[in-house]
Parts: sequence; C-alpha cells; structure tokens
Amino acid sequence: MSVSRKKGIDYWLPKLVVSPTLVIALVFFYGFVLWTTFISFTNSSFLPSYDFVGFDQYVRLFMNPRWLNAMWNLVVFGVLFIGICMVVGLVMAILLDQNIRAEGAIRTIYLYPMALSFIVTGTVWKWLLNPTVGIEKFVISLGWDSFIFDWIIDPDMAIYTVVIAGVWQASGFVMAIFLAGLRGIDTSIIKAAQLDGANLFAVYTRIIIPSMRPVFFSAFIMLAHIAIKSFDLVIALTGGGPGNSTDVPAIFMYQFSFQRGQLGIGAASAVIMLMTVLAILVPYLYSELRTPKNG
Amino acid sequence: MAELKIDNVYKSFGEEHILKGISLDVTDGEFIILVGPSGCGKSTLLNCIAGLEDVTTGDIILGDTNVTYEAPKDRDIAMVFQSYALYPNMNVRKNIAFGLEIRKMPKAEIAEEVARVAKLLQIEPLLDRKPSQLSGGQRQRVAMGRALARRPKIYLFDEPLSNLDAKLRVEMRTEMKKLHQRLGTTIVYVTHDQIEAMTLADRIAVMKGGIVQQFGTPQEVYDDPANMFVAGFMGSPSMNFLRCEVTRHENDYAVQIESQGTVFQLPVDPKQADLSNYVGKTVVLGIRPEQITHVMPHLVSEQFITQVPVKIEVTEPTGADTLILARINDQECECRVHPQEAGKVGDTMDLLFNMSKAVFFDEQTEARL
Repeated sequence: MSVSRKKGIDYWLPKLVVSPTLVIALVFFYGFVLWTTFISFTNSSFLPSYDFVGFDQYVRLFMNPRWLNAMWNLVVFGVLFIGICMVVGLVMAILLDQNIRAEGAIRTIYLYPMALSFIVTGTVWKWLLNPTVGIEKFVISLGWDSFIFDWIIDPDMAIYTVVIAGVWQASGFVMAIFLAGLRGIDTSIIKAAQLDGANLFAVYTRIIIPSMRPVFFSAFIMLAHIAIKSFDLVIALTGGGPGNSTDVPAIFMYQFSFQRGQLGIGAASAVIMLMTVLAILVPYLYSELRTPKNG
Repeated sequence: MAELKIDNVYKSFGEEHILKGISLDVTDGEFIILVGPSGCGKSTLLNCIAGLEDVTTGDIILGDTNVTYEAPKDRDIAMVFQSYALYPNMNVRKNIAFGLEIRKMPKAEIAEEVARVAKLLQIEPLLDRKPSQLSGGQRQRVAMGRALARRPKIYLFDEPLSNLDAKLRVEMRTEMKKLHQRLGTTIVYVTHDQIEAMTLADRIAVMKGGIVQQFGTPQEVYDDPANMFVAGFMGSPSMNFLRCEVTRHENDYAVQIESQGTVFQLPVDPKQADLSNYVGKTVVLGIRPEQITHVMPHLVSEQFITQVPVKIEVTEPTGADTLILARINDQECECRVHPQEAGKVGDTMDLLFNMSKAVFFDEQTEARL
C-alpha cells in the first residue's frame, strides 16, 4: 500500500455532498434562531432595528392578555391532545395486535389522516362542525330537533374542536408507533405470563405497557412538538376565533410579527416557544444519550 | 408433581396436520425429552401440553384431571422458553415473584420462596438486576427460577439451552440433570440436539412428521432403534447405512460386503435379526462407527467380528478418536479408530467389523427387521 498522505476523493466526497445541507442548516436554522433571539431584545416594530431595550419586549408580552390566553389554550390543547391521542392510539394498537384479519388494511385506514396536511383536516372538520351544514344539521334532519353541537362557534368550547380534529389526525400515527412497540415484544413473554396465571389485562398493564416506556416517550415527544407548533390546523379550523378564543402561541407570533408590525414582541414570543420545546427536548435527549451504558 | 398422560392427540392447522395421534405416558418424576428435526411437531406438542395451543382431538391428562380444555393458568404448569421470556420491565426478584403475586400468595411467603429458589440456583447476587443486565447463562437460570418458584405439577422446557454457547450449554446440561435428581420433578423437555436428549433423559420420544417414532430409554433408542430414522438421528457421528445382500453362512446368515474388489461375508448375530426371508435380497445394514475399529488382537477371533481391509478416503481426527471414511459396497462408511492406529489418506488399513450390535432395516419401508 502507498504511504502517501494525500487524501483522495473517497475522503472528500462525503464531506462535499453533506456540506450544502450543513450550510443551509447553520444559516437558516441556527442563524435565524440567533437573529430572532437578538431581535427580541430590541425595539423593532415594522422593520428590524438594533436598539437594545433589554427584556422590555418580554415584559410587554407577558402583560398582553392575548398572549396569556394563547398560552392557556396551548396548555388545554396540549394536555388533551397528547393525552387522548396516547390513550386512543394505545387502545387501537392493542386491539390491532390481537391477530385480527385484514390488519394491514385497517392499519392503513387509521394511518391515512396523517398523510393529510393539517390545512385539509382543519377545513374538513370546519364543515363537519359547522352547525348549519355539518353534524348538527345532519342529526336534526334525522329527526332529533333539539340536538345542538355548536362548539365551533362557542368561545368557551371552540378550543375543544381543535382537540377533536387534532386527535383525529394524529392518533392513527400514535397507534402505528405503539403497534411497532408491541410487535417488538417477544410473544413468548406473553405466553410465560399466561402460564404464570396472568389474564390478558394483567399481561398488558403489568408487563407489556411498562416495558414500552421508550415508545411512550417517543410518542410523547412527537405529539408535544406537534402541539406546540400547531398553527395551520387552528388557522384552517377556527382562524383563532371566535374572537381570540382559540389563539395559540404560533398564531400570536405570526400576527404580531407580520400583520401588526410588532416584530420585537413577535420575536420574544417565538423565543418563548423555542424555550418550551427545548424544555421538553433536552431531558429527552439527555436520557437518550445517557442510556447505552447498560443496554 | 404428577404424572402426565397424552392420549391420541391430533393437532391440525386447517389442512396442515402437525400432530398425528401422539400418545405418551409420563410417570411421576420422570425426565422426558421430545427430540426430532425442526418441523416434527415437538414444540407444538409442548404448547398443547401447556395449553398455549388447543388440541384438535385427543386428551391431555395431568395427575387425575383432564386438562385438555383448561386455560394455561389453570393447568398448574411452568414452562421455560428458548428465549427465556423474562419480563423486561421487572428485576429478577419480581420476575420470580410475578406468578406468586398473581396467585395472591402472602407477601412474606413470596419473599421466602424467592429466597429459596435464588439459593437453589445461586442467583442471589442478581436479584435486583434487570434482565437486560444479565448474561445468557444468568437469564437461563432466572427463567428456571421463575418456573421453580411456583412448585407446579409439571415443568416444560422448550429448547432452554439452545441460545447458550457450546461450553455453557454443557455446564448447564449437567446442572439441569443434578437439579432434576435433587428435586425429582416431572419434566418434559424439547430439544433438537440428540446429545442433550441422550445425556438428560430418563426416556426419549423421537418424533418425526407429527408421529412418535420411538419412545424409550436413551440406551434402548441408541442400541435398538425402531427404524432407520431413529437410528440415523440418534448418535453422532451417525450410524452407517450400507445396502448389502443377504447370504447363507454356515447355519445362519451373513451380509456380503465388498471392499477394494474383494467380497467379505459378515455373519449376522441371530439375536439381532432373523433374515431367513431375505436370502438373496438386499437389506440395509446399520452399523455404528464405533463398531468398526482398528485391529485389536484379543478381538480378532470372536464370532461376529470380521477383519476387512479398506482404503482410507478421508480422516477426521477428533482428539480421542480418529474418524475414517472408507468405501464399502461403493457407499461411504465412517469408522472410529484409535488415533495412533489410523493410517493416511490413500492407505489401505485393516478394520474389524463387529456385528454383535449391528441392526438391519428393510430397504423399502425403512422399518427394523
């Protein structure tokens, strides 16, 4: 073999191929994250300015009732969306795991909503939930005259319609994740538990579900980030209304930055959202990167 | 502990018949091994005993009760799986205690039982570890501990040693035998490894194609095989099968073999087979490699021993013995000789054929004559 130190194309090609992506990621993700953080400490309005005002924009942000309302909506939506998706997804996955016929077809049907964009989901559910054309109209036409289902125009209930549409879209995907987890479990474990005297309920609650902890974590992380960045679904379904009753932080950020010309406060809200995501992600990454010790 | 009676069990999946009329009687405290090539139905039979699969027809009677239609948990059976099937979310202690907790045993008794089993299997230091932190041999012990903890009527083992490396497998085999001798439990054990079957079993059931070919003690199965399949499956290196013609020889019979152009008559021990109907016909001579040895002067004059020169085609030293591949009747024949007596490839070497344990099979039916 030649002793030459010269590095050939084999050495440079992979680096060359990856570098455009790296540059794009550095500039457009991390670059703009830094720039946005920077802007949030200035008094920018329509156009970015570079006069530092410290935490002023953050103070204004948290004094703004619309922001607090948006944050509260996020809490309600996030908790219900993640919770219901997990329960529905897990139950469906367990039912599908019972060696039923046509499992492939059923799995595909449940997974299909995930293939739609949130805009489509939002639009379809807007019509379904519209009292004059949707479910309410249909049930009344069946003869139940007093039936009322008008959550979408009720400011106190509208956020729950977002939950319904979100669950419809994402629970099939959660089911697929759980199903993969269930399939990863050695079937002889179930047999062993049966011989140990456990019924099917105990097999699931005491052995299978506890041993799927990593799967739960993955599902939680995916749902949490869908919840925090939810924007298109709300825009298509309720447009943030009635009034501001279904505002979420992403809508707030968009409207203040690009429609109301308050770039500073918009940037501050974006940074808060980033912090929320990091607050979830960092412990996750920490636990993921730490585990390989004992396999 | 209890006896187990399997009565004419059939198991079919649609048109596919896996078990075709299995009947076995296992007495209390016996160590039974089901052995056979993959796909012979041995694991299915084990699952049927456990109740993890329903039998199509037939009965399984455990002790005094017919358990054919009982759920696995009501049969009072413990099973050790090939993959060990330890509960990954529980530590060793909880793995062992799980079956007892489900059966609502008082806490203090559970702790006592776990301690007893852990001591028995020497896994006390492992009790607080998770299965993922154990080695293969340790997992195997824990799986056994879990089975032992409940003191069930009968233990089932589904290829428990096949995931271990060769050395550990031999160690665990010995340990399992000791354990059985100490506890005197009824065990049904599935394996595809005929050495495991020979060394462990009180009785072996050799299975093929969903049928028990032979059910007997290891020595019976080895010396007195029911048919060519059993003869070929048990023993390593396996028995030689030589097609040869039967002739009259003095008052008895002999089979004719040819080596390097010379024909030899091997007298047949009348205790082994009556070949009176086969004179002039071809039979299959089954002779184990250890019955074809180098020349030992004190044996040469014995009645059923014949000296035959053969040409050595291949030699395989195993340390204790050297296996020699020779050509007899234009068929390959393996012989076991002392390493120092073994010749080189291409040499001609005199071998002694000892016919006192030879067996004979019908060429067509492969049944024992």
